[in-house]
Amino acid sequence: MARVVKSAMTVPLAFVFIFFMAVLPHLLQLNESGSSLRLDWSQSFTAVKDYFIGIGTGESFRFLAGRSELVFWEQIGGYFKVSLLNIAGGALIGTTIGILIGIYFALSGADWLKRTVEFIGVVPDFIMILLLQFLIVFVASETGVVLFQVASVTADDPAIILPLISSLIIPANYMIRNVALQMKLTLTEDYISFAKSRGLGKWYIVFYHALPNVLPFIKADLHKLLGILMGNIFIVEYLYNMHGVTMLLFADAFANEGYQYALVVNGLLTLLVLYAVVFALLKTYLWGWEKVLVR
Amino acid sequence: MNKTLLAGLLITAIMIAVALFGGYFAPHDLKDQVKIEYIVNDQGKGEVIAPPVRPGSNYPFGTDKNGYDLMAKLMDGAKYTIFLSVGIAFMRVFIGGMLGMLLGYFRTNPAGRLRAPSSWNFLNGIPIFLIFWLMLIGISINPSLSPLAISILMGAVLTVVGLPSVVSSIKDKTSVIRDRAFVVASQSIGAGHWKIIRSHLFPHLKESFLIMTVQEVILVLTLFGQLAIFNLFVGGTTMNFDPAEYFSRTNEWGGLIGQARNSMYLYSWILFIPLASYMLLITGFHLVSNGLEALYKKRYAKFSHF
Repeated sequence: MARVVKSAMTVPLAFVFIFFMAVLPHLLQLNESGSSLRLDWSQSFTAVKDYFIGIGTGESFRFLAGRSELVFWEQIGGYFKVSLLNIAGGALIGTTIGILIGIYFALSGADWLKRTVEFIGVVPDFIMILLLQFLIVFVASETGVVLFQVASVTADDPAIILPLISSLIIPANYMIRNVALQMKLTLTEDYISFAKSRGLGKWYIVFYHALPNVLPFIKADLHKLLGILMGNIFIVEYLYNMHGVTMLLFADAFANEGYQYALVVNGLLTLLVLYAVVFALLKTYLWGWEKVLVR
Repeated sequence: MNKTLLAGLLITAIMIAVALFGGYFAPHDLKDQVKIEYIVNDQGKGEVIAPPVRPGSNYPFGTDKNGYDLMAKLMDGAKYTIFLSVGIAFMRVFIGGMLGMLLGYFRTNPAGRLRAPSSWNFLNGIPIFLIFWLMLIGISINPSLSPLAISILMGAVLTVVGLPSVVSSIKDKTSVIRDRAFVVASQSIGAGHWKIIRSHLFPHLKESFLIMTVQEVILVLTLFGQLAIFNLFVGGTTMNFDPAEYFSRTNEWGGLIGQARNSMYLYSWILFIPLASYMLLITGFHLVSNGLEALYKKRYAKFSHF
């Protein structure tokens, strides 16, 4: 029973958090002289109240994009799809590559390769993206060959390969480092030595003895991994001009008539849904790995 | 001491020295500005000098579009970049690690069973960056607070906002270790909670703490850079209207990168020199962490059976 209550508490807590986060631009104001911060509770309270009143009238699901008024429900599907494809693709492909290379790294002695991958892992996402774009433009200017699109010009003609590469590198790298580290620690355990002395093959031991004991650590880090990924899509969508959920927030949070509280609340809730979907996907995926591996 | 650690320490030490004393050695003052000039050289040929000046003997790193020395700017901004990022990362891991270890150790539900998802974990779905953007967009552009005040405000917010992910990660790791045989054995012969945390949990998590601190420094530096891409600079943004231009008030390196993003193809040094400095700093921390890890492993770790 307690567990059900706990799970049920998640929803209102998340809502409270989001309503609070979205109200921040209203709440944090500089005072008239501009020398110190003050909290504008009355304006914030009005914004929240208007949102709830607007749910009934449908006003909370309308927003301004430039000068035209749009309906949230009609628009969000497209934005959600772009973000979902990007994140889910990056997370699943990245995790797979990460686990496999991580295992290889734990066993092999290719030190320079490990160092290279580790170094790529610490390069911030926006630098990677800027360099990738610069490289494509450089190659194009030298050879006349445009390898990939460096950014989406219109929504109908989106850049695909570069954004996917950009959102794949970070989870893959994070996984490689984590799997390699935990794998190495696991391989020092006595049961590995015992399995070896029973004459079991190297790969059998790695996949059926060591990996099942590495996966819990990987699962423990999933939230962190996804947190990094979610933090990354903002930059990916912005620098590649992709029409995803975060881009919607960034582009339209401030319209002609000021800050659009309702849009930001709806957008943030959409991000949570996105997170939950990708988390479930990844968890199921790793659960699949475990089912196959644990005997 | 291994070579990696030595190289890392050397790079970070130089960077910290630059942050502390760089201002005294800069070839030009922060306020020196290259003005548009018409000079006639020895051969009698006229030449127009206009900013930005390319890197050369007079300006080793060149100048920015407004004619200010890039090297002086980098040296000035180093203190914000380095001390703020390290401070934030340390506070995050210190507070988050403590909380995570305690929460993981004293959790009530047994391991292995499906746990109710923690609501705070799912809030990872909101990029930290977005929260930060919402908080700062109103205050950070053309503010009247001092750069230091805004930096400290940002530091405090960044620490608090970064805590949940550290706490949840350490908590989950602690939960796994808590159920290991040596902890159970220790409990069964009567070791107290404090003793177990101190002698069993902490030593096993030390490596994770170390890796995490570096990851956090890099995450914080990344966040500085990401914010800068959206024109929110550490210490505040000066915005000029018509044309809309953004300048960092502190010359923090992320800010220098952010304000030079449009110079990528034409005056590439304005972007790539701060970018290189920023990457060198990250590389330094990365090497220190790798070096320490190697040192630590050599001393304590058991060896792989393969």
